[in-house]
Amino acid sequence: MLEKLLRSKIFIWTLLVLPGLWLAWPLFVTHRPALGADPLKFIYLHFGFVACVLLAIVLTFTPLRVLFPKSKLALALNRHRRLVGVASFAYALLHLTAYLLHEGGFRTLLHDAFEKPKLFILAGLATFTILLVLAVTSLHALVRWMGGKRWKNLHRLVYLAAALAAYHQIYARKLFPVQVLWIFGPLALLEVARILRQRSKARPA
Amino acid sequence: MLIRTPKDWETSAAVTTESHYHARPRREFLRTLGVGLAGAALLRPGSLFAATAGFPPKPNPLYPASALKPTAEEYVTGYNNFYEFGTDKEDPKVQANKGWKTDPWTIELKGLVNHPAKFDVNELIKKIGGIEERIYRFRCVEAWSMVIPWDGFALAKLVALADPKPEAKYLKFTSFQDPKSAIGQREGNLDYPYVEGLRIDEAMNELAFLATGIFGKPLPNQNGSPIRLVTPWKYGFKNIKSIVTVEFTATQPKNTWNIMAANEYGFYANVNPKVDHPRWSQASERIIGGGFLSGRQDTLMFNGYEKQVAALYQGLDLKKNY
Ligand code: HEM
Repeated sequence: MLEKLLRSKIFIWTLLVLPGLWLAWPLFVTHRPALGADPLKFIYLHFGFVACVLLAIVLTFTPLRVLFPKSKLALALNRHRRLVGVASFAYALLHLTAYLLHEGGFRTLLHDAFEKPKLFILAGLATFTILLVLAVTSLHALVRWMGGKRWKNLHRLVYLAAALAAYHQIYARKLFPVQVLWIFGPLALLEVARILRQRSKARPA
Repeated sequence: MLIRTPKDWETSAAVTTESHYHARPRREFLRTLGVGLAGAALLRPGSLFAATAGFPPKPNPLYPASALKPTAEEYVTGYNNFYEFGTDKEDPKVQANKGWKTDPWTIELKGLVNHPAKFDVNELIKKIGGIEERIYRFRCVEAWSMVIPWDGFALAKLVALADPKPEAKYLKFTSFQDPKSAIGQREGNLDYPYVEGLRIDEAMNELAFLATGIFGKPLPNQNGSPIRLVTPWKYGFKNIKSIVTVEFTATQPKNTWNIMAANEYGFYANVNPKVDHPRWSQASERIIGGGFLSGRQDTLMFNGYEKQVAALYQGLDLKKNY
């Protein structure tokens, strides 16, 4: 049952769209001062958050498959790597768009990225650029044109993107935001486990 | 006062005798005026006099209602920083009203003064001679702003009461310490108690204010009940809330955010659009409650109070002393 659901593209699509719709939910249902006080800020932080969560989630798929090669769930999830990855980019794009509307447009972006560079903005910009390149090169035609090996090498950049996104998220706040551990912690653990597993396999028994 | 240059906040012709809280509902008016006597007793048992001390505020002709349009009360009291009660801006309203007691409250004047003393806050207000209202701009270091109608009294009056000795050069403010009531103090998100400081000439400036109310009512817990600092030309974090002691010192006191991150938050914290925060520009600000797209404006030097305070900082390198 769960496997069937997880294999379904429509189900995954729905899951990916929900965080976007959730934004509208409190507008109608409950009253939250933060939404009225500074609606665009609320929205752009939310989009950034979702982008980070999806990025961290999609990266767990491969290690899950390596660690649990027999699990049908892990296999089902791996069908959706492209979709979830592109969704992360889409939310990052929404984050950036809302940021530009909120913070004074490209003038502010150029100021904070180049005139008086701020590392956490540069990290966001670099993350965004990587996600953009990966999303574009995920078009079927481009994948074929590039060839598997080159494509794979290029898409290793996603790990850099995740590290930069975590940095960006941490330094967006005045104090260390604990949720970063929840978002990126499981991924880090899975990666460590995968590396250990692959090492022990590589060594002759 | 002989010749008075017009204040920035009284430039418009919009000085009216009407309430300036834009269509403040009648209901609120009634609450302000009588606090419904019996009702107040019900709401805050045993604090009838405490809760209403000094209200309604006396108008001060030097600070008439101005062109500034106050931010909606709902945002002033429901969207702010008070890390003692959580780091999200929606936290304080919830967390500061779960049994934290701000009444009775004692405030102590000590250090290099001729009249060290401890006062119950309401007695202090009486001794000072009541409270007045001032509408000030408020600029947070996070680049958002509000307009807030404060009730309270000039800090200079408190300084006069304490009668500082000549060696006293600074004021050190300390907030409360009560981890049982304050979730942020239990979590230890900052060094507590929260401390702040001013140079004594800054404290004597006509703008420096101790607030005991907003919107014609006593300060809600989440806004720093029962008494807090308001220095409208400085970033919000200077405005220490729920003050317990004011100590007069010879050396510059430490302040909490400077202890946390000295490269990001200085002692002076003067609003300055030309000096960026290391992680964002301070050139403009988001207007809280300004709507979806229309809520941004350029930040003014000293938050628009240059005339009143610029003289304090002559010869000081504001880039270094941020
Ligand atoms: C050009 C690209 C980007 C810019 C200019 C940008 C800008 C910002 C800014 C200014 C903040 C801080 C807001 C504040 O609290 O004051 C922020 C927060 C954040 N951004 Fe970005 N960002 C970019 C790209 C990204 C990307 C690609 C991701 C994720 C993959 C991302 C995820 C986040 C997250 C999670 C936060 C923190 C939200 C929170 O603290 O609640 N950003 N971004």
